[in-house]
Amino acid sequence: MLARNTFSRLGLGLGVRSPIASFSRSIFTVKATPAEENSILVAQRKNRPVSPHLQIYEKQLTAVFSALHRITGVGLAVGFYAVTVSYAAGIVDSASLLSLYSSIPVAGQYALKALASFPFAFHAWNGVRHLIWDAGHEANIKGVYRTGYAVLGLTIVSALALLFA
Amino acid sequence: MKLLTFTRSLATQAAKLPNIKTFKIYRWNPDTPEIKPTMKSYQLDLNQTGPMVLDALLKIKNEQDPTLTLRRSCREGICGSCAMNIGGRNTLACLCKIDTDSKKDLKIYPLPHMYIVRDLVPDLTHFYKQYKSIKPYLQIDESKLPERENIQSVEDRAKLDGLYECILCACCSTSCPSYWWNQQEYLGPAVLMQAYRWMIDSRDTATNLRKEMLQNSMSLYRCHTIMNCSKTCPKGLNPGGAIAEIKKSMAFD
Amino acid sequence: MFAPGIRSTKSLTSSINISIAKRGLFKTIPQPPGNIIGTVNDAYVPPPSNKLHGSAHWTFERFVTIGMAPLIISPFITGTAPLDSAMAGLLLYHCYAGFQSCIIDYIPKRVYGSLHTAAMLLLTFGTFVAGYGVYKIENEEKDGVFGLLKKLWVN
Repeated sequence: MLARNTFSRLGLGLGVRSPIASFSRSIFTVKATPAEENSILVAQRKNRPVSPHLQIYEKQLTAVFSALHRITGVGLAVGFYAVTVSYAAGIVDSASLLSLYSSIPVAGQYALKALASFPFAFHAWNGVRHLIWDAGHEANIKGVYRTGYAVLGLTIVSALALLFA
Repeated sequence: MKLLTFTRSLATQAAKLPNIKTFKIYRWNPDTPEIKPTMKSYQLDLNQTGPMVLDALLKIKNEQDPTLTLRRSCREGICGSCAMNIGGRNTLACLCKIDTDSKKDLKIYPLPHMYIVRDLVPDLTHFYKQYKSIKPYLQIDESKLPERENIQSVEDRAKLDGLYECILCACCSTSCPSYWWNQQEYLGPAVLMQAYRWMIDSRDTATNLRKEMLQNSMSLYRCHTIMNCSKTCPKGLNPGGAIAEIKKSMAFD
Repeated sequence: MFAPGIRSTKSLTSSINISIAKRGLFKTIPQPPGNIIGTVNDAYVPPPSNKLHGSAHWTFERFVTIGMAPLIISPFITGTAPLDSAMAGLLLYHCYAGFQSCIIDYIPKRVYGSLHTAAMLLLTFGTFVAGYGVYKIENEEKDGVFGLLKKLWVN
């Protein structure tokens, strides 16, 4: 049975039945207009899943620095808006800000400063790196890594300098 | 002399030991859409397998699971069919060597953030439609047509090096987070590099029209110079640099 | 067919859950299946051309950033009001442009429609309020925005 089916699928027709009969039994065709074909395709597209992306992609310097640039930028900007908006609303003034800050223990003050100085230093130096690229320099993989390590080094040095200034 | 024979015999023995590596491959079947995509494990003896990931995939398909579906054609990195995410990076399976460390599993996914037709086959329709939109062919004013050959100087021709080699495998575009979030409107590195290739072609006279098309917040300016594209390109090209050049040339338009 | 040796990885299932949660939280505009508009032979149609959203926006952003680079020293030479105001103004625009870019990336109009517009309006309003805050600080504090920051920093 198996052998005969295989042969008939190949169209050799070695079985008992006539070649044409075996051939037509194993292949099914459906007549469809172009519009019907398109609707089948659209129905299939609706089912298609999106392949995994952020979770499975390798964490490499290029994307990680870019993500950090955005995160530090948003963090610092939120801080800037928070202080200026609450100043505009009259919630804080310089005296209350100063007294609020002095009420934090010294360790907390340093933690707060580190939370500002490291993102600031990174965003500033990486911003310079972006400007260099925009000017048409170092925009290749060698340059990306060379400038990337430079930014890392400069960030650590200048953030520590700011922290203990 | 004795020592030499000893080490030699050891080496031949080691070569005979099977080196079993596990391949974890993304599977999804359109015939059973209600079953979520899964990772299926296959084991191969690396001593019996060719050196490239494509060899392993075809061995699995031939010997273990004929339902495993993937695109492949040239097996030498010129057709771009077998682009996929191997070990977290987008590359061509035919150009990617298998890491012979059998302790580590190798994970293989289709190109990231694409609609999946089946298993490792992504739907590239939209990618090709975007490519079509940049008019990837020579456009010349009829009045500027030369009488005989359309001559290009050696220097002008050299500008196309590093651009024309692109095989449109979509590795770079699908490695780009901006393309992941906004691929419907952002053209992505592969298509933008080709846009640049036609912009700087000395024979092409439609440069202004080509630039005009990119004058919106989405098509070009979703590029934030992340540079995943240049990092991943299996042909060693630099789409990120090409996009930076487009932005620079358009700065004072 | 999928019987032996299969396990669904955590990352795969979580990505599906996230997309469902997103749909539940905000009303989004349904997208064409597979992102495909028209037939496979139709080219993608870019948004209408507008230099204010294109090269002019990009170039202005770069100029503001280049301007900020030397002004970064303004906290160190306090008491120079014009320098401090200039830096605060440029920083405000820089923040505005950055937030704007985030909104375009993560709350695209194509998907979120009116929510995108609302986010942009909220950002513009917030920027004006912050701008008024900067103006108030410049008027009320002797050393301006960065003088105040310096006071806190070396406190």
